[in-house]
Amino acid sequence: MDLSLFGITVFLPSDVLAAWVFTILMAIPIGFFVLKKQKFGLIIDYMRTTNHRKIGTLYILFGVLYFFRAGIDALFIRTQLAVPNNDFWVFQGEKYNEVFTTHGTLMIFFVAMPLLLGLMNVAVPLQIGARDLAFPFLNAVGFWLFFSGSVFFNISFFINMTPEIGWTGYAPLSTEMFTPGLDTDFYVFGLQISGLGTIFTALNLIVTIIRHRAPGMKMTRMPLFAWATLITSVLIIIAFTVLAIALYLLMFDRQFGTGFFSGTEGDPVFWQHLFWIFGHPEVYILALPAFGMFSDIISTFSKKVIFGYPVMVISIALIGFLGFMVWAHHMFTVGLGPMANTFFAITTMAIAVPTGIKVFNWLFTIRGGVIRFTIPMLFALGFIPSFVMGGVTGVMLSVSAANFQFHDTHFVVAHFHYVIIASTIFGIFAGLYYWYPKITGFVLDGKLGKWHFWLFLIGFHLTFFPMHITGLEGMPRRVYTYEVSDGVFLLNFLSTIGAFLMGISMLFFIWNVYKTHRKGEKAGNDPWDGRTLEWCVGSPAPEKTFDPMPIVKEMDPVWYAKVENRELRTTANTRPAPIETESFLPLAFALSLFLLSLGITFSWYWLAIAGGAAALGLFILRSFTDERENHYGKEDSHE
Amino acid sequence: MNNHESALFKDKQIGFLIYLGVEAIMFSVLFATYLIFTPARQGPHPSEVFEAMSVILSSFFLLSSSGTLLAAEKGLKKNNKFKFLVWFGITLLFAFIFLGLEIREFHTFVSEGYDISVNVFMSSFYVLVGLHAAHVAFGIGWMIVLLIQYRRKIPASLFSEKHTIFSYYWHFVDVIWVFIIILVYLPYLV
Repeated sequence: MDLSLFGITVFLPSDVLAAWVFTILMAIPIGFFVLKKQKFGLIIDYMRTTNHRKIGTLYILFGVLYFFRAGIDALFIRTQLAVPNNDFWVFQGEKYNEVFTTHGTLMIFFVAMPLLLGLMNVAVPLQIGARDLAFPFLNAVGFWLFFSGSVFFNISFFINMTPEIGWTGYAPLSTEMFTPGLDTDFYVFGLQISGLGTIFTALNLIVTIIRHRAPGMKMTRMPLFAWATLITSVLIIIAFTVLAIALYLLMFDRQFGTGFFSGTEGDPVFWQHLFWIFGHPEVYILALPAFGMFSDIISTFSKKVIFGYPVMVISIALIGFLGFMVWAHHMFTVGLGPMANTFFAITTMAIAVPTGIKVFNWLFTIRGGVIRFTIPMLFALGFIPSFVMGGVTGVMLSVSAANFQFHDTHFVVAHFHYVIIASTIFGIFAGLYYWYPKITGFVLDGKLGKWHFWLFLIGFHLTFFPMHITGLEGMPRRVYTYEVSDGVFLLNFLSTIGAFLMGISMLFFIWNVYKTHRKGEKAGNDPWDGRTLEWCVGSPAPEKTFDPMPIVKEMDPVWYAKVENRELRTTANTRPAPIETESFLPLAFALSLFLLSLGITFSWYWLAIAGGAAALGLFILRSFTDERENHYGKEDSHE
Repeated sequence: MNNHESALFKDKQIGFLIYLGVEAIMFSVLFATYLIFTPARQGPHPSEVFEAMSVILSSFFLLSSSGTLLAAEKGLKKNNKFKFLVWFGITLLFAFIFLGLEIREFHTFVSEGYDISVNVFMSSFYVLVGLHAAHVAFGIGWMIVLLIQYRRKIPASLFSEKHTIFSYYWHFVDVIWVFIIILVYLPYLV
């Protein structure tokens, strides 16, 4: 559609136009609400905050927002594939490439990551008895970097420059020769900025878990979610750094005329190696925190200590370790040779062992327990069989000879949606329902929660189970249509119905949130009859927690205090808390990197220089406004 | 440094060491890139590009700047203002000289026609050594900020904390340079 504005004619496809209209229509009621309820103070407060619960809330808020955007992309994909030879709206050819690229990139980087980091931010300090993350200021920097990276990626759509290279950004397609437009640059810089934020937050979580545990909270007494967070953070530190350098090299290829991934001497397979050295651990970065959450949830709602705690910890660590040795199983068809393929096939199969151990331990935790079918527990119970199915197809895919048949078919699509949705997305929902009282002070409605769970579970299986069969029939992924004679119509149609069921279930979730807040029924400290330390602080978690500080003498301290009908043992003699502050600097810093990236993308070098100078200037400003200045140089005192 | 401060300092120490771990991974990927692509099948060969004198000179200044920084740290510990400022100033000076030599080296290469897009060897050289040079430049800015902080008379314990964190960074940048000598320059200079 051609639009004429101030004498300039621009071409906008109708889907982009629709997005503009929709966004503006959504902005009006939100703006009206903010004006009417005088919420400016609250917004300013959240822009300056360094408190872990508030930052976690921000992560979750934007994660859910992007979940809807990427989910709508998924519905477009499924509608286009619903019937053979379909011409749904604009989603054919390049537009189809754009829509699966944004769906994948958003879901991985801007949905799963922030939702997990958000839940870690909220829950981990409370679980281990820390008063905040070790570096509150850095935590805010991490969030705002994620935020500006995600906005940078998303604006590409609104100016009709959506990346169309797949979430893997394979070279040489992603190099300048094949995608000369600016679209791929939005991918490069969007991921680069938000990845930097993720690295900082992971670093922060590691130091928090190592240094800020409550007295007596030994590593061997930590809840499994905290353990999973620790190991995930180590994986993030390694994997996202490799991604950062891969994107750095790709940026040089696109902007400064180098040829690492293309041309006569460059090597496209080098990009694949770098990407999957990041990409495969990334899968475990998504799955391990979910494993941790399920462990805590299953233990709570079975009223039993987790079965085989040490083995659970060891298997998380083993999965994390093996996760770095399997990346080439994404590249079996590249032609690395039988030795390499065999090695990576065996390491991949080996990962099934610790994962299987975990599954059995969850089952043994449930066995003989007093089970309560709350919403978090339902998601945990839905997770176990669904995830096992994804695991089984994973082992099938790891057979490198058979993989030549499976590669790039819908069988792979079915596999990774089974593992990622069953673990990460179910885990996130379970975690959201479970910790919602700690975030907002309310318990989400159980009845609507059941609607959400059942519709989502049924929709999920209905969408992805048929893809196993269409995949084995040879239906390739990333292709926008098929023929009647391919004989995959009925199965595809079922998939589409399933996708819409999942979409509808999400409306129940939103309705649930609305209804719960409308009702405004405050939850107590311990709505679930919980076991770990987060259930001894207020709901929502106050800014000053653990005063006095509990002393931990065993696993699940809150539970045993309740069983023995006593108060938690506490002490006033604690290590110094992290120093909180309120500052616009993290937001400003992220904004300056945003401008820097915008400048390089559009070759507006004055803007790039201004953005870079602003970033360096903010470093200096930060150095001179260090909140520690007021806390140092005083007499030795214990708070 | 009292208990309160040393606990917070320890947090920062561990956090910064993890950050240096991140940097180490970044550089090792770039080293791997360099080793994979060098020498390139076409275009300039490293042995015709590198000049030993430039490497020796810049190495002398950067590596000894680690020593002068240690001397400055001793001055700070003994509360000897003069000693601290002199040695810290020399460190800063050496850093400037190193950066100048790097810029001169890059300038010479480019004017000889060996720019970043000539071949994959030059590309991987520039992205690696250039990133290191950027680290030195950042370190120079950091040192200047530290000097201003010293004049501002912030609490002594806070200053010594900031100084220690900087020294970790600076020694790390030095270690990376040692690897650059061994892996990038030396195989083609001897």
